Amino acid sequence: MSNMFSITNIKNRFISVIAPDIPPLPSAHNHQLHRGNISGAASNYQLRMAHQQKKPDKFAYARPRFLQLLTIDELRASADHNVRPIIVPRDTNLLPWGTGYAECVNSGKSEWNEDQAAFARQVLSDPTHTHPDLPYTYFGIFDGHAGYGAALAASHQFHHILHEKLVDCLELLLSRESDNSNQESVFPHPSQFHRRVSKDELIIGALESAFFNMDSLLAQDRDRYRDAGGCTACVALFINGKLFVANAGDSRAVLSQRKISIACVEKKTTSTAIVPATSSEAGADIQEVFAVPFSFDHTPETERHRLLTVARLKPHLMEKQYAAMEYAKRPHMKDLGQRILCRQGTMKGWTYKTLTREDLRMPVVTGEGKRSRLLGTLGVTRGFGDHDLLAINTGTQIKPYLTPQPEVVIRDLSKIVSIPDENNEDGDYGILVMATDGLWDVSENDAVARTVFQTLAKYPTEKHRYTMVAQELVARARGKINDSGHWRLADSKAAATVDDISVIVIPVYQYYKEHVEWEKKYAELQQKRQSVICPSATEAREDEIFLVNGVEKAHVEEEHEDDEEEEVVVEVNRQQAQATIDLEEERHSNIESIKEVVELVDNELTEAISALYAADSTEDDKNSEKDSTVDTPEKTNKSTQQQQQHHRNRNRKDKR
Amino acid sequence: MSYAYLFKYIIIGDTGVGKSCLLLQFTDKRFQPVHDLTIGVEFGARMITIDGKQIKLQIWDTAGQEAFRSITRSYYRGAAGALLVYDITRRETFNHLTTWLEDARQHSNSNMVIMLIGNKSDLDSRREVKKEEGEAFAREHGLVFMETSARTAANVEEAFINTAKEIYEKIQEGVFDINNEANGIKIGQQHSPTNPSLPGAGNQAGSASSGCC
Ligand SMILES: Nc1nc2c(ncn2[C@@H]2O[C@H](COP(=O)(O)OP(=O)(O)OP(=O)(O)O)[C@@H](O)[C@H]2O)c(=O)[nH]1
Ligand SMILES: [Mg+2]
Repeated sequence: MSNMFSITNIKNRFISVIAPDIPPLPSAHNHQLHRGNISGAASNYQLRMAHQQKKPDKFAYARPRFLQLLTIDELRASADHNVRPIIVPRDTNLLPWGTGYAECVNSGKSEWNEDQAAFARQVLSDPTHTHPDLPYTYFGIFDGHAGYGAALAASHQFHHILHEKLVDCLELLLSRESDNSNQESVFPHPSQFHRRVSKDELIIGALESAFFNMDSLLAQDRDRYRDAGGCTACVALFINGKLFVANAGDSRAVLSQRKISIACVEKKTTSTAIVPATSSEAGADIQEVFAVPFSFDHTPETERHRLLTVARLKPHLMEKQYAAMEYAKRPHMKDLGQRILCRQGTMKGWTYKTLTREDLRMPVVTGEGKRSRLLGTLGVTRGFGDHDLLAINTGTQIKPYLTPQPEVVIRDLSKIVSIPDENNEDGDYGILVMATDGLWDVSENDAVARTVFQTLAKYPTEKHRYTMVAQELVARARGKINDSGHWRLADSKAAATVDDISVIVIPVYQYYKEHVEWEKKYAELQQKRQSVICPSATEAREDEIFLVNGVEKAHVEEEHEDDEEEEVVVEVNRQQAQATIDLEEERHSNIESIKEVVELVDNELTEAISALYAADSTEDDKNSEKDSTVDTPEKTNKSTQQQQQHHRNRNRKDKR
Repeated sequence: MSYAYLFKYIIIGDTGVGKSCLLLQFTDKRFQPVHDLTIGVEFGARMITIDGKQIKLQIWDTAGQEAFRSITRSYYRGAAGALLVYDITRRETFNHLTTWLEDARQHSNSNMVIMLIGNKSDLDSRREVKKEEGEAFAREHGLVFMETSARTAANVEEAFINTAKEIYEKIQEGVFDINNEANGIKIGQQHSPTNPSLPGAGNQAGSASSGCC
């Protein structure tokens, strides 16, 4: 009786991303039917499915750790499809910079909330201590479909992969060459290599290759674990005073900004009325709130060109079941021989053609907007997973059309001008709202931006004000349930979202402030060191020049360092070691094979990086001549991190 | 653990009256002396026995601050019981009861059992609301009443369990439609075909190196 409800849920679990317009599945128990039913291979197929069912989950279902929903009872309560409670972190200190977060479960299309979110704070430290450490912060939001596995895996593993990727190009990223100049940093290149590579490009590359790795990891895991489905990925990386947003799929990052300009009252004269120029109120600030997209949605509609290019270049992928065509109106048998308005392949405009039998095949891309579908099945065209996803009715492989390739958008925060008197840092630097399509389906970017600043104005001093923003955004998108059980927006009678909703609200300025303080502290430390080391400067320089090579250099350095610093160093190493152990603990994340795949996929990138490494000696020589001092690892930053860790542990004990 | 019934409760009342403390005392048998402001909603759960039957209480502890009021309203739906709490040392929390009650009556199902609780009975020296006033308010509005102390645990068990008893009696009388989950009552899982066994989610708490979520 009460279970009838949840069976229906499972039947409908794919409505939002996978074909909303197909009739309900015939059997309630075989909820894997979305993979398609190839009539001939049915028994074989069912066997495979039965086998699938037996495999364990890689990660036990959970909500993001910072929500501290630690018991199954809390998980169940949070997934109440009738009430759809809005969940926020009970301890808002767990997220950095007061960052806000809120989420809410779907209205019953899947048993669990298939969105996930994650964040990580890490430090890239130079094993040779030549360069200052580089702290970074990452946030990720993942919208799962056809199961919660892929999004859950991404929320557990993506940041470890990203860290590996950043460590891979550590020396180049940490190099101080450009530290003192505002110029876009570029590395000198040996003459045989014809590309200059900037730090930005290295970070973009790290993000891109991490996306590919995450996808391959899910591919490998299929042997051992239950099929994880797929997910979108929207990732923000704060590093080096810059913001990088990498996105694959239809989750979205939008920067909400506000401009303040003093009103020119005198000019505001009209033919009938004269506004008194002395009115102090009329001279108040005029605020202009606007939204800047920091990602692009990847749906069959927006990616039509790419998808049809794939279809055209690899026609076998269509298995003679689909057409790389689009028709203004769905063609029927009776239309054969008649003229029909269509566009072929990657055409943008429309043209007439005479309808043949071949044209009756299903187009690769159908539908418009939110309802657009790839092979009549999938509504999102980039992200992780979906390795086994087959098209409805035809059983055609969908994965070859998909890609984990993210698009990356950068914002250099050092270039932003903010007048202290205006008190408009949140407006100038912007509030980054990252959310799954549960929010964006029913909210315009600009409306979100307005809600952001309205809510902030309502809670001017509260520490949890950005959480209030996230909560407000989710509350508006979720709406209210009416007497007939439909979710409706509050201000109009329009349908609210019935999908999972997750929203991260990041005050970008708070990051930048932290970054500037970190740089200042680093510079101070640097100066102190210089004055201490000064007497033996020549000696130090000799060492530097002599021992450009990693291990030896570190060894010599430690002789120069006092005890305290050594401790810090040890702590860094321990943290790094722990991070490595963690990574290995992530069950069976086979790093070796990830590397293979990525080498294939990012052939070019790998080449570029290894070429740069080959040029290392030249570069190191240069560096060591310039930097006569030994860099100290930044202490403050690390202790903040430890404190946070400690706080979190303590809090976990306290709270439950 | 299996149960015969699950009852959903909601705890409401002004900020600082001790809603979260009551929940903590009931589920964890401890007291939290500092006010840890609730943001949004938090959940607790405990198994109790009534009439020899295992009953699971799923408790929604809401935020009392005005800012959360409109969101809290959406949580009444699907609650079988409500603990409406005021602080006996702050009269204004007692004065606000009418508003709370209106909200509760308007947004909940009509059979919801409401227990009125005058909390912080240990602070008798600072008492601003007489016990008789609480009793009178309860009588007038057809509520069950009890004074509790989340600090000494006095009457805390009773408050939660008596509410459950009332709900249980209503079920016996056939007042509740127990097949409608929107009434805040769920019959124990005889079978759960759809749940891909969910191992304890708390086991991933370890891993302390990176500042990961
Ligand atoms: N002496 C005494 N103090 C109490 C009692 N119950 C709660 N308190 C204190 O009252 C303060 C508020 O308690 P909470 O339980 O956090 O209040 P709340 O109702 O959950 O408040 P919100 O979450 O803001 O809605 C805390 O400092 C508690 O220690 C009690 O029975 N006796
Ligand atoms: Mg509370």
